[in-house]
Amino acid sequence: MDSSSLCPCSEHLAMATVPKQEWCEPYDLITALEEGTIFPCLNLTFYKAPANKCHCKTHSMSGDVQKNREEMMSRLTAVSFAINDLTLYLDTHPDCPKGRELFYQLLEERLSLLTAFSSEFYPLTQTSMITGNYDRMKYGWTEGPMPWEGACI
Amino acid sequence: MFVYEKRLQFPVKIKNTNPDIARLIMSQYGGPDGELSASMRYLSQRYTMPVKKVGGLLTDIGTEELNHMEIICAMVYQLTRDLSEADVKKAGFDAYYIDHTKGIWPQAAAGIPFTSLEFQSKGDAITDLFENLAAEQKARTVYENLLRVIDDPDVVAPLKFLRAREIVHFQRFGEALEMTKDTLDSKNFYHFNSEFDRMKGKIL
Ligand SMILES: [Fe+2]
Repeated sequence: MDSSSLCPCSEHLAMATVPKQEWCEPYDLITALEEGTIFPCLNLTFYKAPANKCHCKTHSMSGDVQKNREEMMSRLTAVSFAINDLTLYLDTHPDCPKGRELFYQLLEERLSLLTAFSSEFYPLTQTSMITGNYDRMKYGWTEGPMPWEGACI
Repeated sequence: MFVYEKRLQFPVKIKNTNPDIARLIMSQYGGPDGELSASMRYLSQRYTMPVKKVGGLLTDIGTEELNHMEIICAMVYQLTRDLSEADVKKAGFDAYYIDHTKGIWPQAAAGIPFTSLEFQSKGDAITDLFENLAAEQKARTVYENLLRVIDDPDVVAPLKFLRAREIVHFQRFGEALEMTKDTLDSKNFYHFNSEFDRMKGKIL
């Protein structure tokens, strides 16, 4: 960015330096969620944390509605997490075109997922009560499990 | 302001009751390097940050730490929700149970209550950013200590995710330190405190 970033550490005593991250091609969004970052270059693993697949199995009894809801929630979780991680990246790299492009693309997908989830199941945010065709007679917290219950949704 | 969204940042779906593990994980709720400390640290420091982009980063990371606090609480809850009278007696959860039954309350693994003495907001941008770099490393260590002693894959998955976030946050605070240094005199970063002696800094 400026001349000091060319030779960051040799000039300054009594000061630390962390190198600035370069853009690296992100993981697919499901892998990114499992690994805890969208950026392979920042995924510095611990030996005792094995690769782990999402463990919520669709019950055979539950049919298409359950399957559809789980898939939509999984996608929403992955897209929203990628936005969380990109937000922090853009906070320190506001001028990165690749980061911004992916950010806006994911924000649009997230908005349509929230709307679809609200229309088909129940609203996750107040705004998504009006962006889809959610039944306005059904106001309240009672629809859908609380997030901390660990239900397969 | 903060707005609630009815889902977790990372899914928590734990099948097996395990109060022993719950007592350990609770430290990342109310312990010295826990997520409650983390969120309060960043959300407190941001008001006086001289570099606007750094105040923004503190807001975004502080908000993410609130999500992590919720993930930890969901883990403690699911590990103890089916607790039986027999479980309480045999599993090292008895002292907690006496005071809180199965309620979720912020304390460290060793039983020390949550306290703001565990984090700092020092009113000096350089000092606070080093506090945050250290805090992310301390939290990483705790998650690794937990991963070393826990084998339940339902518990390992969110712990692994949370550990990875500490490394990403460390990187971002490092970049915030660089942005802050860019506004200071590189011949002597300590010539003035950019939060107190405001007029001396370059406004970015
Ligand atoms: Fe963190």
